[in-house]
Amino acid sequence: MFAYDLRLALQSLKRHPGLSALMVLAVALGIAVCTVTFTIYHAMATNPIEWKNDQLYAVTIDTWGTEQAYDDQQPDMPPTLLTYRDATAMQAAGIAKHSAFMYKSGAVLSTGKAGTKPFRALLRLTGSDFFTMFDVPFEYGGGWTAAADQGPEPVVVLSHETNQKAFGGENSVGRTVRLNDNDYRVIGVLGPWSPSPKFFDLNNGAFNEAEDAYLPVRWGQVLELPVYGNTNCWKSEEVASYRDFLNSECVWLQMWVELPTAQDRDRYQAHVDNYARAQKAAGRLPRPLNDRLFNVGQWLDMNHVVQKDNRVLIGIALLFLGVCLVNVVGLLLAKFLNGAPLTGLRRALGASRTDIVRQHLTEVMLIGVAGGALGLVLAVAGLAGIRSIYFDDVNAYSRLTTIDPTVVLVTLGLALLAGIAAGLYPSWRIGRTAPSVYLKTQ
Amino acid sequence: MELRPILSALRRSPTGAILVALQIALALAITVNSLYIISQRIERIGRDPGLDVANTFIVVFAPIGKSFNGEAAMREDVQILRGLPGVVAATTINAVPLSGGGSGTRYFTEPNEKGKSDQGNYFEVDEQGIAALGVKLVEGRNFDAGVVTKPARNSPGWVPEVILTRAIADELFPGQSALGKSVYDGVGHPAQVIGIVEKMHGSWPSWDKLDHVVLHPVIADESQAVYLVRARPGQRDAQMKLAEERLSAVDNGRIIRRVRSLEYIAASTYTDDRAMAVYLAVLIGLLLGIAALGIFGLAAFNVSTRTKQIGTRRAVGARRTDVVRYFLVENWLITTAGVVVGCLLALLLGYWLSTTFELPRLKLYYLVFGALGLWCVGLAAALVPARRAAGVSPAVATRTV
Repeated sequence: MFAYDLRLALQSLKRHPGLSALMVLAVALGIAVCTVTFTIYHAMATNPIEWKNDQLYAVTIDTWGTEQAYDDQQPDMPPTLLTYRDATAMQAAGIAKHSAFMYKSGAVLSTGKAGTKPFRALLRLTGSDFFTMFDVPFEYGGGWTAAADQGPEPVVVLSHETNQKAFGGENSVGRTVRLNDNDYRVIGVLGPWSPSPKFFDLNNGAFNEAEDAYLPVRWGQVLELPVYGNTNCWKSEEVASYRDFLNSECVWLQMWVELPTAQDRDRYQAHVDNYARAQKAAGRLPRPLNDRLFNVGQWLDMNHVVQKDNRVLIGIALLFLGVCLVNVVGLLLAKFLNGAPLTGLRRALGASRTDIVRQHLTEVMLIGVAGGALGLVLAVAGLAGIRSIYFDDVNAYSRLTTIDPTVVLVTLGLALLAGIAAGLYPSWRIGRTAPSVYLKTQ
Repeated sequence: MELRPILSALRRSPTGAILVALQIALALAITVNSLYIISQRIERIGRDPGLDVANTFIVVFAPIGKSFNGEAAMREDVQILRGLPGVVAATTINAVPLSGGGSGTRYFTEPNEKGKSDQGNYFEVDEQGIAALGVKLVEGRNFDAGVVTKPARNSPGWVPEVILTRAIADELFPGQSALGKSVYDGVGHPAQVIGIVEKMHGSWPSWDKLDHVVLHPVIADESQAVYLVRARPGQRDAQMKLAEERLSAVDNGRIIRRVRSLEYIAASTYTDDRAMAVYLAVLIGLLLGIAALGIFGLAAFNVSTRTKQIGTRRAVGARRTDVVRYFLVENWLITTAGVVVGCLLALLLGYWLSTTFELPRLKLYYLVFGALGLWCVGLAAALVPARRAAGVSPAVATRTV
């Protein structure tokens, strides 16, 4: 039966090749535009650590001044970064399963090996829990211990790429790298790992690559390593030394905690509340009490990882698909009605209404599938085009423009759905034709 | 003009006509709003930054810890750059204009956080800063070399003198000249305004106070500093290469990370805007193409199914022009209906975009132009099929009877 329908459909399509091609093209363009838009949106809206979404929390405390909101767009939100004194106080409390505060810096990295050139490495200064908390994969060795945090011990974890660059990818655990003036022992090498969006630090580009090397955060204070991320200050206070900076109301640190259960979460929230109240009593925190824990999804939302433009484009892409579908409906209708005499003949020879509708729907489905396939090809070309607008070394857009299976599935589903939606009315309409009308004119 | 037969024919089988009108309406709504978004982006990208973007480049270096003798090494590097044959001026600077990264602080007109105040995006430059940036000094004077200092690391580094852009000067001292006045930081250190720059875009192109810029006479801290160099017109690329060569040949405790033109940096800052504009433009092109093809296809199909009626009309005395007119009028009616509905849809879409995404409200003249454009597209798409209809010979009518 299906084979018969298929043969009839193919014949019908061949009878008007121009019209058929036009319909396939219309479906393909609609699908392609939607696929391109969805792909980028999907990549932006991805939660890169979905499996721990409700266990990982960004810690915020509203330490900002009263004169102006931290973010004019969302005035009721606390700053997204912490002061040094608050971050260290939260870390010292030790009530979370895992906890680490962190910031981004940089240094010139060299191995002293002949033939290798020193290069600037981006550093993440962070705590020992960072690796366990974020399920960071290790290729060689492992992270450092809590004791190494305290020392701080001269240990470093290299990213996969840095290890490639500095040691040709061999097991470099136990080797020494020099960062600026100091030597560090390689204690671990990461597997390829660069969550996108870079949820733990969304400043300066939410889709940037993860850093090149990781150091115990105290090295940052010992060596006074500069902050490469954002430093935001509201209070006019005399900052004449690094000590002053650490004690200032400037915010510049990200802080994450792992709280496996709802009870843990409530307990931690209560702890932060108490801490903030005590600070208020001591004369700090001029704004109303506002300390919040954000899980990963909430954090990505709050930081507007998905850009406004991309939301606008989703709307426009769907409308575009709408135009394409209306287009196809019109063409199908004209085509089917044109073939009505033949349909009348089939009806007269005993084909039921359902047969007629099914046969026409098969034809529509064929157009939908062909359109979907062509659309996917066009989408790949479109994404390559978008990539070419962006400079790869500046924007991490190549990661956003890679088609993934989910989007392909969604696209194919959409193509089929679009085909059916477009074909339903014309097929139903043609199914209703009374055979007698057409037989009369034969 | 006999509208009645056209209308009654349309009334008898309205579906095809409705679909064409709907297509035009949707296409109009999308096109108008997209064009409006595109025009905003083009305007944003095309703003005059007040800088010599075309001839300027930056040299990014990374100091290797203590072996880098901050001030001396940076002054040495800048001297090398100034000595290049095609270089107009060079300075150290704490951040790159138009790059998206920079520093800001609040300036007050009176000590102790009193008087008027405004956020300013500050750049730390030396005595060649004005020349290297290529900004125009319209009042007062430039920094003297003697006033340029390098504060100790992590110290406030407050300065005795500043140069303001016209925009921030007018904000802080409305209706009077800022020249010679003092501005204060939050702690109350004064600085005298010694010059006014006509215009300069700062670090953050999406900031509404983008041109509220303040220049400080400071050798920037080596953890942030880059060298900003302005070449003679047409010599930028050659000087970039030369700069990298000459600086790399000197070992003073830093590595040269990269040399980039300001043009490149500005372009990559505006990439999102450019991508949006290009994407929407392609979308509009495809949309109009597919809509025109659809209308054309439908009209052509209608003509071919009505061959017999056309033949009959011709046989009973209708001229070719009558047949063409019939199809064009029919199409005109449908297109007009589509355009009218499309205007409403466009306004709705515009309203939705402006309320949901805080985009500016759609300007009405876009609607007028869009409507005219789609009208033309609709009519043009029907022209060829109508012409073909006119070619149907009266004999067709008699042949099958």
